[in-house]
Amino acid sequence: MTTIRRFCCNDLLRFSSVNLDHLTETFNMSFYMTYLARWPDYFHVAQGPGNQIMGYIMGKVEGQGESWHGHVTAVTVAPEYRRQQLAKKLMNLLENVSDNIDKAYFVDLFVRASNAPAIKMYEKLGYVIYRRVLRYYSGEEDGLDMRKALSRDVEKKSIIPLKRPITPDELEYD
Amino acid sequence: MASKFGLAGGIPERKVRPIWDAIDSRQFKNALKHVTTLLAKYPNSPYVLALKALVLERMGKPEEAFSISLNAKDNLFVNDALSIDDLTLSTLQIVFQRIDRLDLATECYEHACGKFPNKMELMMGLFNCYVREYSFVKQQQTAIKMYKLAGEEKYLLWAVCSIQLQVLCGNGGDKLLVLAEGLLKKHAAAHSLHEPEAVMVYISILEQQAKFGDALEILSGKLGSLMMIEVDKLRMQGRLLAQAGDYTAAADIFQKILELCPDDWDCFLHYLGCLLEDGSIWSDEAVNDPVHPPKFISCKVSHLTDEQFDSRISIASAFIRKLQTDAFDNSIRCPYLAIIEIERRKHLRGKGNDDNLMDGIVQYFCRFGHLACFTSNVEMFFEVFTTDKKAELLEKLMTSNNRLSTPPTKTLGLSISLFKIKQQLLLGDMFKSSASDVEVSCVQMFEMYCKNLSLSKDFDPQESMHGEELLSITCNILVQLFWRTKNVGYLVEAIMVLEFGLSIRRYVPQYKILLLHLYCHFGALSVAHEWYKSLDIKNILMESMLHHILPQMLSSPLWAELNSLLKDYLKFMDDHFRESADLTYLAYHHKNYSKIVEFVQFKDRLQHSSQYLVARVETPILQLKQNADNIEEEEGILQRMKCGTDFLELSNEVGSKSLTLNEDLETRPWWTPTLEKNYLLGPFEGISYCPREILTKERETSLKRGIEKKSLLPRMIYLSIQSASSSIKEHVEVNGSVTPDITLELKILLERFAQFLGFSLGEAIEVVKGFSNGERSVVSDSNLIDWLNFTVFLNAWNLSSHELVHPDRNERKPIIWNILDSLLEKYILEKIRTTEPQLCSPWSDIQLLMQLVTEPLAWHGLVIQSCLRSCLPSNKKKKKSGSVYQSSSNLAHAITDSVQQLSLVLEDVIKWISEWNRRSEDENMEGILFLLRKDGHDDGPGRVFHILETFISSMNNAEVGDRIYHSLKSWSPADVARKIVRGKLKVLIEFSAICESKLKLLQSLKQKVAQL
Ligand SMILES: CC(C)(COP(=O)(O)OP(=O)(O)OC[C@H]1O[C@@H](n2cnc3c(N)ncnc32)[C@H](O)[C@@H]1OP(=O)(O)O)[C@@H](O)C(=O)NCCC(=O)NCCS
Repeated sequence: MTTIRRFCCNDLLRFSSVNLDHLTETFNMSFYMTYLARWPDYFHVAQGPGNQIMGYIMGKVEGQGESWHGHVTAVTVAPEYRRQQLAKKLMNLLENVSDNIDKAYFVDLFVRASNAPAIKMYEKLGYVIYRRVLRYYSGEEDGLDMRKALSRDVEKKSIIPLKRPITPDELEYD
Repeated sequence: MASKFGLAGGIPERKVRPIWDAIDSRQFKNALKHVTTLLAKYPNSPYVLALKALVLERMGKPEEAFSISLNAKDNLFVNDALSIDDLTLSTLQIVFQRIDRLDLATECYEHACGKFPNKMELMMGLFNCYVREYSFVKQQQTAIKMYKLAGEEKYLLWAVCSIQLQVLCGNGGDKLLVLAEGLLKKHAAAHSLHEPEAVMVYISILEQQAKFGDALEILSGKLGSLMMIEVDKLRMQGRLLAQAGDYTAAADIFQKILELCPDDWDCFLHYLGCLLEDGSIWSDEAVNDPVHPPKFISCKVSHLTDEQFDSRISIASAFIRKLQTDAFDNSIRCPYLAIIEIERRKHLRGKGNDDNLMDGIVQYFCRFGHLACFTSNVEMFFEVFTTDKKAELLEKLMTSNNRLSTPPTKTLGLSISLFKIKQQLLLGDMFKSSASDVEVSCVQMFEMYCKNLSLSKDFDPQESMHGEELLSITCNILVQLFWRTKNVGYLVEAIMVLEFGLSIRRYVPQYKILLLHLYCHFGALSVAHEWYKSLDIKNILMESMLHHILPQMLSSPLWAELNSLLKDYLKFMDDHFRESADLTYLAYHHKNYSKIVEFVQFKDRLQHSSQYLVARVETPILQLKQNADNIEEEEGILQRMKCGTDFLELSNEVGSKSLTLNEDLETRPWWTPTLEKNYLLGPFEGISYCPREILTKERETSLKRGIEKKSLLPRMIYLSIQSASSSIKEHVEVNGSVTPDITLELKILLERFAQFLGFSLGEAIEVVKGFSNGERSVVSDSNLIDWLNFTVFLNAWNLSSHELVHPDRNERKPIIWNILDSLLEKYILEKIRTTEPQLCSPWSDIQLLMQLVTEPLAWHGLVIQSCLRSCLPSNKKKKKSGSVYQSSSNLAHAITDSVQQLSLVLEDVIKWISEWNRRSEDENMEGILFLLRKDGHDDGPGRVFHILETFISSMNNAEVGDRIYHSLKSWSPADVARKIVRGKLKVLIEFSAICESKLKLLQSLKQKVAQL
């Protein structure tokens, strides 16, 4: 049961129960504020009946030509609200913004290769593993680059998996 | 990149590029070499000078950088137009910003814009300077100029936002909004608007002036179509209609949103509010603190007639029923909760029917009772029931629970909810029921956890397990049992339960937070700190979460750990203040205008954070504590903090500031709902799971006073040292170097300090004098340190002031000094005598003991050092030999006495600490585990622990899975007990080291006095 609205600065002071999760990174301020200043439509928060923060999604849109795409930088839901389709709603929202407003070709994201629950979720939501990025996380853990094609990519070219893994310095965007 | 370098200052790009390359790759020495070469050729070029300054700054030479950049600036001003270009200016700007002289950067741009009034590039730079300086008026003026020049929507919006900032974050009056509106109106009429964010700002400007009709017109017109997210637009429309008082239309809009998003609870509340013509949600929104929004919905009794009310309610019910039947997805909860809310509104109107309300809750329970958020969803409805009805509801819930047949995970969830509900409904009952009844439910919870572990046996360790909450509940009950019985065994048991849980899965933040508070309470602060660190609290989380550990650390001897907590936190905040304006500029640049006010307000909010101010004050105090045993070092530190004058200023200002409280108190355990409160320290009162009384205003006032008082300390310490040294010099030096100012200032501060104790200075002095007769009724644990600090400073003042008439001039020691020494002695010895050196002794007394030694005693030590130093024949004074010795002989006696007395006290403390170490670790560990052994008798702690041990020894890996099996097999309660012991001893050992160092100081003073 949720109200989904744009994320605002004050939410940063209220999201501790979500961010205490060990898989959810607490970034520095300029990171959050850059996202807010540049892509406010890609940063949404879900709020529950007692006004508590249940989860949020942050992302952006970038790229040139056919790699113009939406990107999910973080999606996270507090443990007590999991498995209630919340992440799915947030993801759908971001996909809609990318698809309808920004006319992007696809949405992509990186996930820790060990984060089985999240990978399962993304697969359920229609994402495929596009490629593996070696030692993407602090030079240790591999990341999976997952993608989902949007309506503009009619032939679904953007999601044809790469044959070989790549290294972080081969990434087009960070 | 090439164009970036242009032909700044007439210097070819290829000559500059190596410098930038070197800077970018952080090869500053190399960069400097290149700059120096280039400078030989262009000695007066502002650009090259600016580059040199930049390199020097990056090399960590801010002073040199400053002087070179001033040089560059001067040349910029004298030179002709040739050298003024954006690259030179922006390079200088970077340097000035890095050395915190934004004003100089602004001057450069102002000068440049004066020379070239129509260059957009320069004006943009100037605008940016004003953004950095938060000069909203000048921002507005510059933006208007740019708008006139370029006619772009963007610059108009920059001006409009600058106006909005003046109104919302500056001291501009509301009338300015009319101006902003006029600008927008005119532009929109001629050119329309093209950015959705521009429309949003336009609407907010109108809304702020309560011109809701106009705002609605904009929204429904062509401009409104720019807003792409349909629901957002509808929400805005509904809000405006409601604020305009057109509730019927507003209700229609919210109905539409609910059809699109049937799970949007906020929207439902708005819908219902509009139907019942109750606008309180909107007006409260303005009043409430956005960081601590109310948990419960506010609504007022409707003014509608009975018929109207009934018909509106039935409209709402019908619509919600329809939403229920239409719902395609059975995870949608809002319509089911909405039915309950509608019943509640009826209740408030006096038309309620308890049975209907109960039915609604029971239904909701049957559908969603297994969810972790069930209890928090429905708790707001319990208030309408009488005690009897609550019992009835509970009965009904239990019956329906028994009838439900669900898969095991749901059954578990339902049982947990039921238990939580029971606690809520029977609030207070827990306290009436006997300790053993409470213990029974505690045992049940724990058993339920163990029994259900198998449900999660195949889970990825990343994933939350079923029933994790049970251990938090168990812990909470155990702590309550401790509170009732004061039997520390329950605390140890609670610790064991949580450690057990964390060994099963490492990542449960709730357990860690509970544990950290338990360890603090137990005195094992270093272990608490470890758990705090494992929460990985960084960046903005520090602002909301540091309160879990900071207060305890502030009074602890773990100085290194405290220092790094404070340093990290202040760095984060200061970095943000430094970069926030640049990020605001980014919002201007990307035309996300609505974020501009938001960013500035947020920065203001953090700047007024009470925790930030506390950290700023506590940081110097920590430094002073750390160096108090060496007066020269201490003086160096005081010099570096401008002898405490900055903090004095802070102290003067803080009263008139409004502070923000940004702590997330929701994450705190029930027994310490705010930083200032710890129920466990007081007698059992019967509160548990209470609504957290966040008395924000009250907290703000007391925090302010705390900061006001604390920030006097550095200055008072400084003045005390000065005062003490002039006490003797006045006999020595005839050239008038005694500074009456110091004595006077110290007196003024003493007056202020006395006020914090609730007295005038005269009265406070009398109180202190009364101490010598044993009259100490005004002193309590909460003001003990303040009284002693006051006495320390009073004594220091008395040394240079003649105001207090001394009947005892010829005695060995001034009377205040005497009183002070005996007070210190008395309280310190009292603490160690009443606190057995046992692992389970209450920690709060020890905390006070540590404060006594590290604060008043330390400051007093500085006064003694200062006195002694002025008695010692320094080289200079040797010329006037003889006089020093004679006139200081009284003082020397006083010092000798004092040193003697305090040494004995410290020796006692050190001896007392060593008592703690007498037993071996194993003995201590056994001692702790013994608290949990039942050995036949039935009451007291240990039942849960017994189940825990039995479970571990009897579990098998088929049942709980390999992972859990192995982690539990390698877990041992004895290790936990050892950890408690070590944690506590570590703190005491640190404290002992502090005492040793002070003792050493006193001994060296003794020797020096002997040489006199
Ligand atoms: C991953 C995460 C965001 C999922 O949030 P959520 O709100 O529980 O997910 P949803 O309820 O919307 O799940 C949608 C679907 O994804 C799948 N899914 C979600 N979590 C799953 C899990 N733990 N295991 C298996 N499948 C899962 C399911 O198919 C689910 O539908 P279902 O419940 O009807 O079967 C949440 O677990 C989380 O916050 N994790 C920590 C942060 C993180 O890892 N973020 C991702 C990396 S950026």
